[in-house]
Amino acid sequence: MLSASHAFADAPPPREMPDLIKEKIDFATDIKPILENNCTKCHANGKSKGGFSIDHLHSFEAGGDSGPAVAKGKAAASLLVKLLLSNDPDEFMPPKGDRLPVKDIALLSSWIEQGLQWEKGFTFSKFRNAPVAPRKVDLPQGPEKNPIDRHLAPYYKKHKLDPEVTVSDGVFARRSFLDTIGLLPSSGEIKDYIEDKSSEKSKRLISDLLGDNENYAEHWITFWNDCFRNSYTRQYHGGGGKKITDWLKKSLIENKPYDQFVRELINPINGSDGFIKGVVWRGTVNASQVAEMQAAQNVAQVFLGLNIKCASCHDSFINDWTLKQTYALASIFSDGPMDIHRCNKPTGEKASPAFLYPEIGDIDNKASRPERVKQLSEIITSPKNGRLARTAVNRLWAIFFGRGLVEPVDEMDNPTWNQDLLDWLAVDFVDNGYDLKHTMKLILTSKAYQRPSVALDEEAENYIFEGPVVRRMSAEQFLDSLDQIILAANTDAKDRDTGRKRAGLRNLDRLMRTLGRPKRDVVVTRRESTATTAQLIELSNGKPLADLMMRGGEVWVKSGQDSGLIVGSLFSSALGRQPSDLEKKSAQNIIGDPVNAKGVEDLLWMLAMHPEFQLIH
Amino acid sequence: MNTNIDRRDFISTASTATLGALAAGYPSTSAAAKAKEESLNSTADTVIVLWMAGGMASTDTFDPKRYVPYEKGLDPKRVLSTFPSIDTAVDGLKFTEGLEKVGAVMDRGTLIKTYQAADLGFILHSRHQFHWHTAYEPPLTVAAPHIGSWVSRTLGPLNPDLPAFIDIGQTFDSGEKESLKAFHTAGFLGSEFAPFFLVEPDQAVEAVKPPEGMSDVRFAKRYQEYKKLLADSPVQQHGSEYQRESLLKSMDNANRLLSSPKARKAFDLSQESKESYDTYKVGGRFGLGCLLARRLTEAGARFIEVTHGYYPFKYWDTHDNGHTRMKELKAMIDAPIAQLVLDLEERKLLDRTLIVVASEFSRDMMMEGKPEKRVKDQVQVPPRIDGPQHYGMHRHFTGAGSVLLFGGGAKKGFVYGETADERPCTTVKDPVSTQQLHASIYHALGIPHDHHYNVEQRPFYVTPDGVTEPVTDLFG
Repeated sequence: MLSASHAFADAPPPREMPDLIKEKIDFATDIKPILENNCTKCHANGKSKGGFSIDHLHSFEAGGDSGPAVAKGKAAASLLVKLLLSNDPDEFMPPKGDRLPVKDIALLSSWIEQGLQWEKGFTFSKFRNAPVAPRKVDLPQGPEKNPIDRHLAPYYKKHKLDPEVTVSDGVFARRSFLDTIGLLPSSGEIKDYIEDKSSEKSKRLISDLLGDNENYAEHWITFWNDCFRNSYTRQYHGGGGKKITDWLKKSLIENKPYDQFVRELINPINGSDGFIKGVVWRGTVNASQVAEMQAAQNVAQVFLGLNIKCASCHDSFINDWTLKQTYALASIFSDGPMDIHRCNKPTGEKASPAFLYPEIGDIDNKASRPERVKQLSEIITSPKNGRLARTAVNRLWAIFFGRGLVEPVDEMDNPTWNQDLLDWLAVDFVDNGYDLKHTMKLILTSKAYQRPSVALDEEAENYIFEGPVVRRMSAEQFLDSLDQIILAANTDAKDRDTGRKRAGLRNLDRLMRTLGRPKRDVVVTRRESTATTAQLIELSNGKPLADLMMRGGEVWVKSGQDSGLIVGSLFSSALGRQPSDLEKKSAQNIIGDPVNAKGVEDLLWMLAMHPEFQLIH
Repeated sequence: MNTNIDRRDFISTASTATLGALAAGYPSTSAAAKAKEESLNSTADTVIVLWMAGGMASTDTFDPKRYVPYEKGLDPKRVLSTFPSIDTAVDGLKFTEGLEKVGAVMDRGTLIKTYQAADLGFILHSRHQFHWHTAYEPPLTVAAPHIGSWVSRTLGPLNPDLPAFIDIGQTFDSGEKESLKAFHTAGFLGSEFAPFFLVEPDQAVEAVKPPEGMSDVRFAKRYQEYKKLLADSPVQQHGSEYQRESLLKSMDNANRLLSSPKARKAFDLSQESKESYDTYKVGGRFGLGCLLARRLTEAGARFIEVTHGYYPFKYWDTHDNGHTRMKELKAMIDAPIAQLVLDLEERKLLDRTLIVVASEFSRDMMMEGKPEKRVKDQVQVPPRIDGPQHYGMHRHFTGAGSVLLFGGGAKKGFVYGETADERPCTTVKDPVSTQQLHASIYHALGIPHDHHYNVEQRPFYVTPDGVTEPVTDLFG
């Protein structure tokens, strides 16, 4: 961080200010290489540690959190020079690696002194464009059976991580259940799993779970509903928001190949047309929000991990997409030629339909709309389009590990922390018929997925994969799990029917809304997962949850079990483990002996609020 | 998003792009620094929006024009106001009959005569309300935050034990409920900044109490036992981590609010004297909402909105019987608004509290839209008024609407903008757009007009592109 504060009294004194150079300093040959080699990692190309970016002259001059970086014409008074000379490890720049040689400091100082000459229009910022074509990667040699583990072996070695650490069976079972079918394992299921001595048991569990088609679909429909803005209730005046629920659920139950799934969303069949129809309000809309434009934006975002929202108004400032390219994509969905608008004003130009990556395929701009849309659906899902598969496998990775191979998941031009793995997974996905469950199974049966969860280090400079990030249950997982716990009073069967429609299929209500289920008027590919005060108020005194707890209290008392048994069952079904002696004592105290409904109700609430319950470890 | 930030900090900053920030907004540091600087010039700490949902006709309220009394067979084109005008505390400023009490406190306030609603091609209340509350026109690619969420995100609560943004009176059960929900949200700012909803003011205290049927004692015990149970957990195999900490911290905040006697008192209207309660009660849900707003302002809320609620064809959505209904509506708002001003003044809070009385657009007997942007008529107006049902402002007029400002640095006894004396009684001088209104409210709070947070790598401003400047003339 560019900071002049926190100097310790006993810090070594700074180096001497070097003599200034009289000759004219040339930015391109003298300055650029120094900045490029020493500063750009943290202060360029979109990165601005301490609020300081050297991407442009203006941002360079503006400085960061600690004020202006340079005083034009006054090298000695410039914060930058001070930090370069400093020997105080709390403030010197660059913070890592070798100290900047004095001759370089002399060059920079002289450059400041001479008035900060900058190459006209030059910027350190470069938009990165990831390759679109698929890239075949050979599976590395190694003893690991799972290809993901084999890819990660050198990575672990490099980062000095033990490849063999795994979580306990109980934690693994809970994690797998929630990640595949969105439900908790019953205490019986956990027990069976722990007692199973087979070396293949985790594979078998994952197969069983992914094979529970109904529950799989009822869990995953939530993720896809968020992506496709499929709201069960929304009807804006104007006719926006057509439901695709039945088509979607059916597609998930039969594990429709992803390429076909995407084709049907872009070039709709009966029941799948809601996605490209978009949200329509009565009245006029901004040119960047007409239905065709929404279709283009959402297709690009969800299927290709591309942000063309900026480029719907003007040439983008955050990537290389232009207004014309966005209109070309939108025009595919348009009956007639679209008038290009820049910031809602017509430019006089007409758009000609085309795909974003012409190298993958052409749209016949003379063809009818249905024909063009059909062509688009085929081009996007053609094996030449590696981007579709990369985006999809990255989404799966991000869901299971809490963080993608590429982040953010909708910015697939960003670099990945493991290019070979990403490319290999994408090609493997296509080679296996775009089978989502195939890739899920690969991930879920890897040792990587069995690693202990890690806290996300928000401050870390570089992400290092160590295992799944601790995640919080979604609104739907939370509510379904509570239903299960209440149901568990009556039966310990493996039947996963909670006796109530799964939360992901219910209409949005206040409780779910508070817990983060979106309204689905905009595409959401990742929800907020951090707890908020508003949520905890609702969970502490809101009627829907209070009623549920009350019901739970009654049901458990009615089960006629003694307090020890009830405490054991509740811990085991809610947290996936038996209570410790201390916990058992406290919990039995809470529910009383003989057990009373209010006590059980309160204990249920405490377990529902328990971090071990709400978090997926 | 880091919820562990001290919410009392003026601007919550997160200088690194955290994972949460990848999805939600985070402030750019330069914007934060600038905002901090400008906050020194703020004239208000709290905003109360009194929302006349449904379209309040200005010529029948705060901007009277030629009055033509009702008679059968009247040509509707002749009618500009259906009420005679009355004097106010400000020389030369007239209101319509029925607003005597607000008129009497106008020496403390500003009237904007020339609020111009957006041209959305068609009148749709919820869409215009969306625009009024977010300054953005839907649909959008990013969920736009309600102005209260912007304020909550930027300034936090004045009193950290209270929700910063409290929304009183709106329910979501009408035909346009989904469209209403679309802007009653913190959008990309994240649900930490979403409105805290209260519907019936005289039951507001229930929202900050234990659940129905649970005593305070049991509620407190439940929390203590919960803490103990957590302490009893086997040595944390997962150690301290962010998700866990934020859950426990949020739980702590929630518990503090739900067991704070001070907070509960603030939400509890039964603590009011009968006289005070009755003064506000004439306004029903809206009136009592004003009273609750006063109590919450005293307790340190940051942004409060009060409404009777928008329900198609109800309250201010006067598609028929406009005159008769207007009489009732004015009786409902006159005393509560005036009393709110006086109460805050008496408590020395008016100077730092900006009250904004507004509606999504105005109404007129003849014109739908505005003269230069007419839209499709939605109300039949007969050639002759043959019954009281036709006597009133029934069409949706966007050319000029009234907005009142009190306190929070707004000028006293001041009128901004001019409207024509003949139909269409539209803006002739100094129009004020929704964006300008937002920029002006932010200005009072010390938030720069180009304040923004980054979402998806691009800045999202308090008003589109952050280009709209406040109307500084409104402030003294």
